[in-house]
Amino acid sequence: MSSYKGLDLFGSGPHRFARGVREHLVVSGFALGTGGAESYALGLKDWEVLVVGRLVAASESALRTLRDAVVDELEPLGSITPGTLADGLGQTWSDMVLVAFEEADRVDRGRAWSVGYTATFRSFQASQFQTFQSGS
Amino acid sequence: MLVLSPRSVEFGSETWPGVSAVAIDRRVTRSLVEWSDEGPHAAFADAPEVEVRVRVTQQLEEASADGPMAGASGSLSFVSAPGRSGARRRRVRVACVVMGVTHEVSERRAGVRTIELVGVSPDGGAADPVSVETAD
Repeated sequence: MSSYKGLDLFGSGPHRFARGVREHLVVSGFALGTGGAESYALGLKDWEVLVVGRLVAASESALRTLRDAVVDELEPLGSITPGTLADGLGQTWSDMVLVAFEEADRVDRGRAWSVGYTATFRSFQASQFQTFQSGS
Repeated sequence: MLVLSPRSVEFGSETWPGVSAVAIDRRVTRSLVEWSDEGPHAAFADAPEVEVRVRVTQQLEEASADGPMAGASGSLSFVSAPGRSGARRRRVRVACVVMGVTHEVSERRAGVRTIELVGVSPDGGAADPVSVETAD
């Protein structure tokens, strides 16, 4: 069973985990004020993990409950708490924050009520995260 | 569903004579088949959008200037009976809209009119456009 902070947010339906691009943040010298076109690597960007799947429920209200449970994990600035994301197949990522939850363009109402989604998690190293929250 | 030589074929307030067959087809217009990280087989499938198509084949004995108008809506109603005795008679009703009227002409008969209709749910989506009940 996959989980985020120990919660089974996605287990109602099929879902798949994918890692985002692992890359350096690269900017030009012009952007840094040197006036040149040379490149500067400013360090590796934080990890991003995508969960793409479908929430499935037996009723309209049950689906709403599933959707709300995920959206509740989008915490407001000032109270964001990173947690561990686990894919249920042995892979875990620590210090992850849910930064986006995007639903498909419609709720599907067939024999079940369901909606597709993409949930985006990003890693935050603790020190960077604290600095970001304090605004300094 | 295929009904040959149906009786009392009515559309709204009109009676359609000479109907030799009514075919009711169902097809999925939007399908969901999704996989998980667990293995190769689909983990979820559903048919959240389906369409009921009705084809009425009418044998014309003479030239006709009448015929249903494309876009006309109404209840298509007819009686089916599997055997010649009329036992197990069923009245079939389909709330539908005319989507096309075409004609074929041959030397041996005046013509064959084919009326294409699409079933619509009377309550906006949840109920089956097709109802079947025991005929009196």
